[in-house]
Amino acid sequence: MEEIVRAEGLKKTFTLSKKQQRIEKTGEPRRVAVNGLSFSAYRGEIYGLLGPNGAGKTTTLRMLSTLIKPDAGDAFLAGHSIVKEPEKVRDVVGFLTSDLKLEGFFTPDYLFDFFGAMHGVEKGVLAERKQELFARFGIDKFAEVQVKNLSTGMLQKVSLVISIVHDPEVVIFDEPTNGLDVLTAKVVTDFLAELKAMGKSILLSTHIFSLVEKLCDRVGIIIDGTLAAEGTLAEVADGDLEKSFFALYQERKGEIV
Amino acid sequence: MKLLALMKKEFHRFFHDPRLIVTMLLPGLLIFLLYTFIGEIAYGDEAREFKVYLSGSSAVTVAIEQILAENGDKVEWLPLENEEEARAAVKEGEATAILKFSENFDPLQEGGSVSIVYDHGSEDSFYFESLASAVLTGMGMRFLIEEETVKEDTAVGAEFLSTLLPMLIVCFIFSACMSVTLESVAGEKERGTLSTILVTSAKRSHIALGKVIPLSCISMIGAVSSFLGVALSMPKLMGFSLGFLGDYSVWSYVLLLLLILSTVPLIVGGIAAVSALSRSVKEASAYTGVLMIFTMVLSLVTSFLPTMGSWVTVVPIFNAVVAMQGVLQGGLPVLNALLSVGINLVYTALLIFAIAKLLSSEKFMFGK
Repeated sequence: MEEIVRAEGLKKTFTLSKKQQRIEKTGEPRRVAVNGLSFSAYRGEIYGLLGPNGAGKTTTLRMLSTLIKPDAGDAFLAGHSIVKEPEKVRDVVGFLTSDLKLEGFFTPDYLFDFFGAMHGVEKGVLAERKQELFARFGIDKFAEVQVKNLSTGMLQKVSLVISIVHDPEVVIFDEPTNGLDVLTAKVVTDFLAELKAMGKSILLSTHIFSLVEKLCDRVGIIIDGTLAAEGTLAEVADGDLEKSFFALYQERKGEIV
Repeated sequence: MKLLALMKKEFHRFFHDPRLIVTMLLPGLLIFLLYTFIGEIAYGDEAREFKVYLSGSSAVTVAIEQILAENGDKVEWLPLENEEEARAAVKEGEATAILKFSENFDPLQEGGSVSIVYDHGSEDSFYFESLASAVLTGMGMRFLIEEETVKEDTAVGAEFLSTLLPMLIVCFIFSACMSVTLESVAGEKERGTLSTILVTSAKRSHIALGKVIPLSCISMIGAVSSFLGVALSMPKLMGFSLGFLGDYSVWSYVLLLLLILSTVPLIVGGIAAVSALSRSVKEASAYTGVLMIFTMVLSLVTSFLPTMGSWVTVVPIFNAVVAMQGVLQGGLPVLNALLSVGINLVYTALLIFAIAKLLSSEKFMFGK
């Protein structure tokens, strides 16, 4: 199988302010979020990064999408280094996270064209792609409605479609169903399945076991910024992902809470 | 293509949002209404009485009397006995103007001449001159009209404008730049929409330029609106005419325009950099407020220190204010003005570079 994402010893440390130290009840001025993380995802598969809050999933995905730089290590997406070729990486990656928002003033139609231009997609190709994706995900019905007037489900669909406006080889989703109601969450999971059917390689982070079980071909379990286990569901979970995860967590941390 | 798309987005955002357009144009309208209102209170709308020294006679005076009477104004014709004394009276504001018809003057015949001596810094005198000139011109121009002002560029209005106008211009530019730039840069950062752009492959320098160029153009609209508000209401507010503005040469206006054009992107760049450093619009507003006070003080200093060394050319904004004063005082400080424009553009380029660096910084873009 062809590797589409390869992370090699990624490390990221954050400086904590006095306030953050008080909140986290620690006297340490620095916190290691990701500590020498290495993993590989293959073309055409959905790879899930599973871990509790604060395990380093979001930091890892942010490094992979070049929003932040690793302190050490490197990662290669479709052959491009996130350290040496961040702009090339951005052209082969679609990134969706709740932190990235769409300007409420504009319409889905305008934003699709705008982000298409931002990725350097040729006009004719962009128009074809818009027609196809808007029809496929039912966005054509509200393509001219300002984003601020869309429902959460509609907005999520628009965000998803815009994240793949440039037909990226790798699509990265950070906690894609977090905070969504069941109907909107279904929009997302259906979209992921559609993307996989389209042959896209997907990397997603989540702490929801059912999402991994339902969608992922392979999974990497992250605890305290390091990879605790990696493989297919059968290899990692042995039938019960939740049980296996907590066993692994207890083994690493000594206690569950 | 990416830079063009970024610029188009800013223009689209502005020109398709009536609220933003109103926000940009409203200050000019409000300034006009407010200043005019204050002027009305200060000077009232009482009927005016003009005292004009007259030499020779013509039916033209009757026509002037009639037009003035229609507006409730009156004119008292004084015999011109001593021209020097009459000129002094006009200069001191004791008389409105001097109207001299040549002996052979006949509006229906060729060859005569008429001379108007007035004070172009006085609203009344300027008004009378315009009226008399219009009446005479309307008679077919078979004769020569000589117009002469008793004061040169040291008119009260010109003095006032040359010292205060540059500061007002900079303040208006600053407030116009502030309203659009804070919203566009700090606002987008706070709302998380800037991050969505940062995740694309657009160069950070293009994103910075894609903000500074269109925001500068939009700010110019606000600045011009405010400037027009002041310029149009000034006669009412200050009780003098702006007619002498026509005395400046085309090159003076070109220099003024260049100085304004170089100041706008500099201020937009400064506010954009502060916005990129800040975590929220509120924080950016606080920092920009300090920046505005600093700019105002810098602009005001020039009003009290008229003679300064050439070192001011290297101080951004300050250099433009000093050069604008030079132009409005009737000089043509071409070298200083062009140097100021060039230096301001260099500072703008440095600011754009700094904004691009800030956009690349995860500490400022994604730090909590």
